[in-house]
Amino acid sequence: MTDDTEAETETPEVLAAEYVLGTLASNERERARTMIENDPAFAQLVRAWELRLGQLHAMVAPIEPPPETWARIQARLDGTDPSTAMLLPHPDHAARVVAEGNVVQLRRRVDRWRQATAALAAIAAALIAFVATSVVGPDMLPGGLRPKPVEIVRTVEKPVEKIVEKVVERTVNPGRFVAVLQQDAASPAFILTIDVATRTASVRRVAAAPQAGKSYQLWLVSDQFPKPRSLGLVGTNEFSQPALASYDPAVIRGATYAVSLEPEGGAPDPDNGPSGQVVFSAKLVEAVPSSP
Amino acid sequence: MLSSQELVWLLAAVAKADRTAFERLYAATRAKLYGIVLRILRRHDLADEVMQETYLKVWNSAGQFDPALSSPITWMVAIARNRAIDMVRKKTEVSIEEESDVLETAAAESPDPLAKREITEELRRLLACMGRLDEERRRLVLFAYYGGWSREQLATKFATPVNTIKTWLRRALIEIRECLGS
Repeated sequence: MTDDTEAETETPEVLAAEYVLGTLASNERERARTMIENDPAFAQLVRAWELRLGQLHAMVAPIEPPPETWARIQARLDGTDPSTAMLLPHPDHAARVVAEGNVVQLRRRVDRWRQATAALAAIAAALIAFVATSVVGPDMLPGGLRPKPVEIVRTVEKPVEKIVEKVVERTVNPGRFVAVLQQDAASPAFILTIDVATRTASVRRVAAAPQAGKSYQLWLVSDQFPKPRSLGLVGTNEFSQPALASYDPAVIRGATYAVSLEPEGGAPDPDNGPSGQVVFSAKLVEAVPSSP
Repeated sequence: MLSSQELVWLLAAVAKADRTAFERLYAATRAKLYGIVLRILRRHDLADEVMQETYLKVWNSAGQFDPALSSPITWMVAIARNRAIDMVRKKTEVSIEEESDVLETAAAESPDPLAKREITEELRRLLACMGRLDEERRRLVLFAYYGGWSREQLATKFATPVNTIKTWLRRALIEIRECLGS
C-alpha cells in the first residue's frame, strides 16, 4: 500500500520505526495502524522495530499497580461491565500456540540471534558505554532506568545467571551510573556501577571467565592526572569494588574507564598505568539526563 | 518474573480462555507494564485505564501471539505502550505534568527492581548501539521511548524545530538499525 502524502520525507521504514518509538501524531498513528492491518510488508517492518527497540523496556523500573486494576479487569471479563463484551480467543489462533512448536520456534530465534551476534562482532571497536541514571524528575524517565531483568529471552543467554543478583541494593538514587563495558559480542563484558554521590562503585564480570595467569585491572583516566589511576583488579571475583573514594565527583563523572589485561595480580608498576593490553574503555555518558 | 518460556506457555493457556493462567500472567507482568504506562501517562487513573485495555486485549488476542515473531513481554509491552501513547496523544488538553511526582512516589514504594536482573545479549547489543549514537540523538530516542513524547513535544523540550527533530529521529533510528545489523 502506498500513500502519496508520505512521499515527502517518510519511507515506510521510518514510519514503522517512529510508530514503534511512539513519536507520531494521532493521525499518523492511525495511518500506520491501517497500514499494519492491510500491508503485510509494513506489518513486518513494525514487528522488526518492536524487536529492535523492545529491549529498552528492560530498563524501566516496575511499579505495582493498585489492586483495583485487577478487580476491574476481572469485572470486565465477567461482563459485569456492560460496556465491554467478552470475546473469547479464536480457536484457530489458540491452536497456533502449541507448546511443542514454541520450543522449535524459540530455538530458531536463538539461532537467528546468534548469527546476528556473530555479524556484530565485526564492529570490534564498538564500546558499550551506556549509562543510565536513576534520577526521577518531571521531565525524567525512568525512576529506575538501569539494567533490569529481561525475562524475555533466557533461551539465548549465556551463563549469566550469577551475574547481577545483587549488584545494587539501593533503589532510586540520583547520580547512579551503570555502564556495560564490552568490546564486541564475543569478548568479556563488565557491568560497572558508579554512584557519584557516595563515590562508590562496583564491577561485575559477565559471561567472561578470567584467563589463567591473567588479571583484569580497572583504570580511571582523567585529564586531571598525568597517568591512568588504578582502581584495582576486577573479575577475579565476580564482584569487586574499585577504590573511588579519594576522587572528586566531577572527576569520577568526567573520567574514562578502562580495563586492561594484566599479569596475574595486576600491572607490576600501577603508578605508571597499565602494562598490558587495554581491552576496552568507556566514558560515562549521561544517557537520560534530568532534563533535555 | 517468570521466564520467557513460562510466559509463552501462559499465553497459550490464556488463548484457550484459561482464567487461572491469565491471573498468573497478570501477576508476572503487571508491575513491568504499569511502570511503563505510568511513565508515559503520569497519572494513575489513566494508567489504570490503559492497564485494563491492555490486559483485555491480551486476553482477546493471546492466540495471535506468535513466539516465532516476538517474545511475550515484548509483545505485551508493545500493546501497553501503543495504548498509552494513543491516550496521551488524545489527552493533550489535560496537563500531564499534574502528577509529576507520581513516579517518584510510586518508584520509591515499589520493591527493588534490581533484586534479580539479567542483561541479555539483545539488550547488550542494543545498548552498544545506543552508546554509539550522538549524545543528543540518544537522549531524543530515549525520551521518546520512555516518555512517549511526540515530535512536537520533543521539539519544545529540545528547543529545536520539529523538522530537525524529525531528521534527527530518522537518522538515529537508521543508525540503530544498521548497527544492529538486522
